[in-house]
Amino acid sequence: MTSTLLFFGFGLLSVLGALGLILFKHPMNGAMSFVVTLISLAGLYALLSAKLIFAIQLIVYAGAIMSLILFIIMFLNIQESDLPVETGRWFFLAGGIAVIAPIAILLLKAIKSLPGGDTVIVGGEFGGVKGVGLLLFKDWLLPFEIVSILLLVALVGAVVLAGKRGVNE
Amino acid sequence: MEQNATYLAYIPLLPLTGALVVGLLHVATCQGKKLPEKLYGILGCIGPILSFILAVRVFFNLKGFPAEERFLTHKLFTWFSVGDLDVSMGFLADPLSSLMLLFVTLIGSLIHIYSIGYMAEDKNFGKFFAYMNLFLGSMLILVLGDGPIVMFVGWEGVGLCSYLLISYYSEDRDNVIAGNKAFIVNRIGDLGFVLGISFLFWGIGADGFDYLSLKTNAHNLTPALGITVCLLLFVGATGKSAQIPLYVWLPDAMAGPTPVSALIHAATMVTAGVYMVARFSFIYAHVPAAGTAVAWIGILTALLSAIFAMFQKDIKKILAYSTVSQLGYMFAGVGVAAYSAGIFHVFTHAFFKALLFLGAGSVIYALHHQQDIWKMGGLKEKMPITYKTMLIGALALAGCPPFSGFFSKDEILYSALASGHFGIWIVGVVVAGMTAYYTFRMIFVVFHGKPRDRQAYDHAHESPKIMTVPLIILAVGALFAGFLNLPGIFGGDLEVSAWLAPSLVEHHPHTSWFVELLAIVISIAAFAIGFRTAYRKFGQGADEPSYAGFKQFAYRKFFVDEIYHVVIVLPYQLVGKVISYFFEPYITDGPVKALTWLYKMAGLVFKFVQVGYVRVYAIYMVIGLSLMSLLLAQSLNL
Amino acid sequence: MILNYLSLSIILFCLGILGVISRRNVFTVFMAIELMLNAANLAFVTLARLHESMDGHVLALMVMAVAAAEAALALAVVILLHKHKGKLDTNVFSLLKG
Repeated sequence: MTSTLLFFGFGLLSVLGALGLILFKHPMNGAMSFVVTLISLAGLYALLSAKLIFAIQLIVYAGAIMSLILFIIMFLNIQESDLPVETGRWFFLAGGIAVIAPIAILLLKAIKSLPGGDTVIVGGEFGGVKGVGLLLFKDWLLPFEIVSILLLVALVGAVVLAGKRGVNE
Repeated sequence: MEQNATYLAYIPLLPLTGALVVGLLHVATCQGKKLPEKLYGILGCIGPILSFILAVRVFFNLKGFPAEERFLTHKLFTWFSVGDLDVSMGFLADPLSSLMLLFVTLIGSLIHIYSIGYMAEDKNFGKFFAYMNLFLGSMLILVLGDGPIVMFVGWEGVGLCSYLLISYYSEDRDNVIAGNKAFIVNRIGDLGFVLGISFLFWGIGADGFDYLSLKTNAHNLTPALGITVCLLLFVGATGKSAQIPLYVWLPDAMAGPTPVSALIHAATMVTAGVYMVARFSFIYAHVPAAGTAVAWIGILTALLSAIFAMFQKDIKKILAYSTVSQLGYMFAGVGVAAYSAGIFHVFTHAFFKALLFLGAGSVIYALHHQQDIWKMGGLKEKMPITYKTMLIGALALAGCPPFSGFFSKDEILYSALASGHFGIWIVGVVVAGMTAYYTFRMIFVVFHGKPRDRQAYDHAHESPKIMTVPLIILAVGALFAGFLNLPGIFGGDLEVSAWLAPSLVEHHPHTSWFVELLAIVISIAAFAIGFRTAYRKFGQGADEPSYAGFKQFAYRKFFVDEIYHVVIVLPYQLVGKVISYFFEPYITDGPVKALTWLYKMAGLVFKFVQVGYVRVYAIYMVIGLSLMSLLLAQSLNL
Repeated sequence: MILNYLSLSIILFCLGILGVISRRNVFTVFMAIELMLNAANLAFVTLARLHESMDGHVLALMVMAVAAAEAALALAVVILLHKHKGKLDTNVFSLLKG
């Protein structure tokens, strides 16, 4: 009972946040509503017994990525005049809804064929640090290592992209 | 019945290898330092001489068998096999082909040796011998082939070499045009040949398409098909052997070097048509009407070209028209079903015509490439060997007994008379008289009387031994070859006809002694009249006459070449121009251009899709995705 | 219950697509892409719960790592673009025009 209530609460919050993201004009406002979405998603993960993911979501996504984005938005000092003039966005929204509707309907129809299940909190090691960690280092070792290389490459790339160019500018 | 003989393959192979070796050597060295001519000469002559030795071996091999079993075959490899048609590169040596082999290789070798002298100092010496060897190899394939298709390979090969050798002095445009003319006119004849063998295959080719199988199946040929095949094959022969209407290339072919004229256009290639008719005697014998047509066209060609020869002033052109005329005789012979007589005339003609051409070459060489007989004269003291050998050749050509030409020509005329072709006999006799006249006109004007061009006469000298020895050998042949086929009235046994009998389907007509004697007497009379007329007009030295009226008309060869040009060549070129200016731009190029224009238009339309904004591309992706999900939702029936 | 979670994931995903195609502001577009990634993450975790296997969690972890890397690089590019043109409009950069 409580879980259903919590689910609907968190779900509503996340949808509202998403709507805010795509409707607000100023990206700052959009970013703030996106943070709301992320935090409510973290709550949903907790309801699904994904303890580690819940924590990681809060730390990495809501904490690191969003703060990075907010930092850049504020860094660029966006004024009202810098924002692009988006006159036709309601038409695009309407058209977009029309175009996306078939995709949504297909997906919804597809998930109907899945077996329904209960989301009672699972105890034990399910979704915890030890459980996920063991899996990460045993079955998923190779992807894990590759992702670390990916992060290294992204780091180097970010430095190269935004850093000062060489002497021959 | 037949025996396998692998050495048959070497007979054409040796000259072909020689051609390859000499050709490669020439190509490799022609730009820089040239190889010594002696080397090319030796390499060029080895092939033909070895082939001659092998031909002699074939002859003696066959002689050792009883008459019905005189066949040697060898299949080199299977060329292709399609449905009922199974063609292999095979060789057949039977009496007919062995006889052809003998004189082709002998005269070929002699002419190769002669060429070492004649073509000395020529800058493309090696190329000449490569082409000559290639020609000899192709001719041997033609003669030795065991079926129509192998013969056709050789047929085309000799046509090619004829073109290459006629255009040998390719710096002069006229020579190349002459070579083109030869090849193109030949090709027209070849169309007839191919159609002929196609019909032949259609009719009786199902059980094997080589001569021996065709011979056994010949009775299955329907009369209509028989006449079609015979006439179509003869069309091929008119092209290759220069009969009406495709003889026009042979006089122009004299633009090539004289040894080429001697070998190809006198002794060997042009006789391929006669050989072909004799080879297919098993069909021609069943269709006498076709034979009569062949004989009449032959004898009319003989008449026409004899008329031309009487008025020409270029020594080689006289001999060229003479060749056409004698070929007409040969076709008259095989047309009246006297196949062995026709082939015997091929044999003797090869000797004396090659002799006459080589002798003419000797004269031309001595006078530094002067070919007009009205600028020669009185050469008999200066060039005794050439004179004596050419005299022998002329006597043989004119049909004077006991030289070889008399016996072979008389055999043909007698066969025409005996088988009832009275008209052919009469025309043949008249042409014999004309032959004597123009031959001795040439001899008297060139060798007798006073020299007409003093300067050239002073520089003239006898040709070197390497050129005169072949002349002497050929003269011996021209003198004595006739005795190989003496008819009964002279005490002989017709040995050559007997030798050839297993290869041919022939019936010898029988008449009384009186008819035979009559034919001989009238032939000798024709020779005498022709000789006397020539002696009267030219024996004491004469000046160049000026021709008017009919004589001028004959000198200009009845304007046949000009007529062909206007009636055939110009319309053909006109059609080509019309097609290229009117037809092509609209009918063939039009649709292609329209298609490209269509693609360009489509491109212009689709250009609007590429706007350059990434967001729009993302929208395209989403639209595609939604369309896909619509389709999927339908097909999955969720 | 699982179906509810999955429907929510689908809704969030579609809202993300909507954001990408209807907005011109660079940041909004970027954050809408992040929204889509999160919707996918939710689907992973839900199905992991359904099958009681933690592979979904591991994948969600990978997705988050990739999203972080991508965020860093994308923001670097945004800064460069802003330095270049001074505008935050995706329509301004149309060098791909055919």
